[in-house]
Amino acid sequence: MAKSLMIVDDSATMRKIIMRTVRMSGLDIDRTEEAGNGIEALEKLDAAPVDIMLCDINMPEMSGVELVKKVRELPSSVDTKIIMVSTESSQELIDDVIADGANGYITKPFTPEKFQEKLSPFMN
Amino acid sequence: MVDEVCLNDALLAGAKEVFETMIFMDIEESSEPDRQVEGDALLGSITFKGNLEGCLTICCGVLCAKTIAVNMLGMDSGEELSKEETHDAIGEVTNMVMGSVKSRVQDSVGDLEVSIPSVVSGRGLDSSLGDGTTKILVKVGIEDEYIAELSLLYRASSR
Repeated sequence: MAKSLMIVDDSATMRKIIMRTVRMSGLDIDRTEEAGNGIEALEKLDAAPVDIMLCDINMPEMSGVELVKKVRELPSSVDTKIIMVSTESSQELIDDVIADGANGYITKPFTPEKFQEKLSPFMN
Repeated sequence: MVDEVCLNDALLAGAKEVFETMIFMDIEESSEPDRQVEGDALLGSITFKGNLEGCLTICCGVLCAKTIAVNMLGMDSGEELSKEETHDAIGEVTNMVMGSVKSRVQDSVGDLEVSIPSVVSGRGLDSSLGDGTTKILVKVGIEDEYIAELSLLYRASSR
């Protein structure tokens, strides 16, 4: 079944690259949303929840870690699967953000195969 | 503590990984060490702090930067590339190379806290952190066509 997806990253270029990589991965996505920061992401999620959110960590205004905590407080988004996409690769940070409510982690640089591997479990 | 050779290798390996995976371009350490980035250029930089503090920079000519952006975005030849997209692309490359270097050295230097990247344009661009700083400079050839300068400026943390 096709899923809806939101990409949250302060870089418009990175959002495009992630979008292209998701397309190349062959995953069945029927609706995509983009947000340039955590506040915009929360507003969009409140209006129309998504199945999967791909979220950067190092963002101005609101970090990806803070955003995960706030998304988990939204009743409409309790089932949203959150995958962090970041250059940050320390195991401690990954463990912390998973404990805060994220469901997975992809480090940059990434490949379509990596998206396939990490997102497939949430596609059914 | 990590040594210069180790950081030099990490910088080159990190850049290679990013260019090959995300930009689909081959890079090699330049066989022309005297060749410079000339004319209008972009300089991406990102700072880090931890047991080491400093910054990583990537400097390349505008034409090289545009080619990197076009490849990263998968744009067709007819599509227009904006100045913002080019700057954004170089910022992201800088960010990803920093992430790749960090993952390679964190066993020896510990975790590094990394800033958000910034990009400036101009001629004769250079970066400095003042006295007591070590600078590693790696010149790379990109697709045998362009030259780019990768640098890592660092010193032991004062904290």
